[in-house]
Amino acid sequence: MSPEDWQRLAPLALVFLFFRSLQKFIRENLFLFVGAGAGFAFLDWLGPRELVLAGAGVLLVLIGGSVIYFRRFRFRIEDDAVRVRRGVFEKKELRVRFARIQNIQIGQPFYFRPFGLVRFSLETPGASEKEVELPGIRRELAEWMRDRIAERQRPDGAQAPVEVATGDAGVAELYHATTGRLLLHGMASNQVWVLAGVVAYLASQLMHRFSEQLDEAEMLVAGLERFDNGWLVLLGGVTALLAILMVLSAVISVLRYHGFRLEDAGDRFVARHGLLDEQEQTVRREKVTGLMFRQSAVGRLLDCWSLAVRQTRSSDVEEQAERGGFLVPGMARRQMGIASRLLEGAQPPGDIQPISARFRRLYWQRGFILLLVVLSVVSFTWYWGHWTAVVSAVTMPVVLLALHLRYRHWGWSRGDEVLWVRQGLLGQRIDGFRLDRVQQVRIVQSIYQRRHGLANLQLVLPQGSVTIPFLPLDAAADLANEAAYIAETALDHRV
Amino acid sequence: MIDSAARFSNRQVAPGDLPDFRRVELQHVARAFVPYAVLVQVLFWLILALAVAGFRVVPFSPFAPDWWVVAVLVLAATWFGGMAWLDARRRGWALREHDLIYRHGIIWRRTVIVPFARIQHVETSSGPLERAFGLMRVKCFTAGGAMSDLSVVGLDGESARKVRQHLLEQIRDAGEVGPDRGEAGEIDES
Repeated sequence: MSPEDWQRLAPLALVFLFFRSLQKFIRENLFLFVGAGAGFAFLDWLGPRELVLAGAGVLLVLIGGSVIYFRRFRFRIEDDAVRVRRGVFEKKELRVRFARIQNIQIGQPFYFRPFGLVRFSLETPGASEKEVELPGIRRELAEWMRDRIAERQRPDGAQAPVEVATGDAGVAELYHATTGRLLLHGMASNQVWVLAGVVAYLASQLMHRFSEQLDEAEMLVAGLERFDNGWLVLLGGVTALLAILMVLSAVISVLRYHGFRLEDAGDRFVARHGLLDEQEQTVRREKVTGLMFRQSAVGRLLDCWSLAVRQTRSSDVEEQAERGGFLVPGMARRQMGIASRLLEGAQPPGDIQPISARFRRLYWQRGFILLLVVLSVVSFTWYWGHWTAVVSAVTMPVVLLALHLRYRHWGWSRGDEVLWVRQGLLGQRIDGFRLDRVQQVRIVQSIYQRRHGLANLQLVLPQGSVTIPFLPLDAAADLANEAAYIAETALDHRV
Repeated sequence: MIDSAARFSNRQVAPGDLPDFRRVELQHVARAFVPYAVLVQVLFWLILALAVAGFRVVPFSPFAPDWWVVAVLVLAATWFGGMAWLDARRRGWALREHDLIYRHGIIWRRTVIVPFARIQHVETSSGPLERAFGLMRVKCFTAGGAMSDLSVVGLDGESARKVRQHLLEQIRDAGEVGPDRGEAGEIDES
C-alpha cells in the first residue's frame, strides 16, 4: 500500500487513545472536584456501590469514545500536505501543508515499542495545540513522513545539511544532558512547589476529615504537643516531605528527559529523549522565533538552567514548556553558548543594563502605603492589638525586599542582532530574540513616567510580547525606532 | 528575481538617523468620535446605575442596594465620560511609508507602531452606534496572539476604507517579494 492511500491507525493505538482520554478526563474534572472542596462530601453522599458503578460508566464511555474515534480515523499523505479525517460525533477533515509545519514530534510510549509503532504529531503556528496527532503508526512510515516534510520544506536543489561542523551524516551534536544534570533539573524545577501545594491541600482536607474520627490523629497532635520543641518536629517533617518531593521530581525529570541530546541538522534541530516515552522533536531553524533561558530559585543554587526554544503561538496563554514545548533541560551557565547555534547572532547576554531606579522607588512607596492601609483595615476589623506591629515588622521587609529583587532582575542587553530581556524575583528568566522578528512596537507611559521622562517598551513577537519597564524615554524611543526599522527592512516577513 | 533584487536596498543607517516616531505629526481621529466615545462611557455607567436603582424600586426584589451605590455609579459615569472626552480629543494616528502609528490613552498613554510588513490581515468594522456617528474601525492582525491585534478606532468611514486599501496594497507588495525569498532559502509561506 502506498503512503498516499487513506490509512488507518494500528489497533494498539486504542490503548494510547484510551489513556489519553482518561488523562484528559482526570485533568479536566479533578480540579473542579477537589477545588470546590465538594469532593469528599460527594464521596460521602455516594455509597461504594454507586461509586464503582459511576467509575465503570465513565470507563465505558471513555473506551467507547476511543473505539469510535479509532474506527473513524483516517489519514493520507499528499504531495505537499497531510490530510486527516477524524471525529466522534461530527466528521472533521483537516489538511495541513508541509510548509506551515514548525514542529514535528515522534514519540514512542513503552507499550508501542515491541510492535515498532510510534506517535507522530505535527504543529503549525496557528494551532494552540498539536494540530495533527497520529498515534500508532509504524516507525518507518513516521520517519518517511518526517523526511518527506523536511524535503518538501527545503527550497529546490538545496541539500539537507547546510554548513554543519562535524559528523559524516551532516549532523552536529549541540548538547547532551547527563543523568546528574537531569536530576538537578528535576530538583530545581518549579513542579516541586506545585506538588507540595497539592500535597498540602490534600493533607489538610484529609486531616480535617479524619481528625474527628481517628484516635491516631489525636495521638499525633498530642505527641507533638508533648515535645517541647514541637515546632522543630513539624519543621523537620515539612523539610523531609519537601526532600521526598524533590527526589520524586528528580526521578520524573530523569524519566522524561533520559539521554537528552540536541542536534543541529542544518535546516532543523532535533532533540531526542525519554525512557518510558521516547521522544524525537524536530524544529525548523527558520521557525525558531526566540530563546528563553529560565532558572528557578533552587536552580540558582545548583547552577541549573533550562532553555526553551520559542516559536509562533496563537493562544494568549503562555504555553508550558514542560508540556510539549521544545525544552533543553539541565544546562550549566557555561553551556549557554549554544544560544548562538540555535538563533543566529545570539551570543549569551553580556552586561545587563538596569532599568531606572524610579521603578523601585515608586513601587516601594506604593507597596508601603498599600500595606499600611491593608494592615490598618485588618487590625481594626479583627482587633489584632499588638499583633499588628508584629505582622508589620515581618511583612514590611519581605514586601520591600521582593520589590527590590524584582527591580534588580529587570534589565536588558543589546547584542549585535539580538535583544535580551531579563526579569525575575527569586529565579530569573531571560528572553532573547532578533529584532527583525518584532511584529509591533508599543511605548506606554503612565502619568508618573511622563513626569520623569520614562517609558515602558513593549515588543510584540510571534511567541508573545516582551516588556522592558521604566526605560529612560530616549533609550526606549531609540530601541523602538530601531526595532521598527529592522522589522521594516527585514527580508523574511510573516510567520 | 532581478526585479525584486533591484527594488531591494540595504544602505547603512546610523542609529541617530533612524526616523523617529516622536517627530511624526499625528492626525486627529474623526470629530464625531468625541461625542461617540463620551456617549458610550456615559451610557454604560448610567444603564448600570439605572439597573441598580431598579432593584430598590421593584417590589420583592432579592436585594436592595444602598443609594450611595447608585451615586458612585453616576460619579463613575461622569469620570469615565470626562476621561473619554479628553482621550478622544488627543487620540491620533499616522501612516508612514512603512508603518502605521496609533496613539491613545490619557492615564496610560500608548503609542503603537505596526510595520506593514508584519500585518497578516486587515478588516474594517463598525457597530450600530458607530455607524450612527459615521465612524469605522480598522483592525490589523499580526502574529503574537489575539491580544496583540491593533484596533484603530475613531476613523470616519472614508478614511477607514482608504487606510484599509492602503494596508492591503502594502501587504500585497510585500507578498510579491515572496518567491524570490524562496530561492534565497528563506521560504516562509504561512
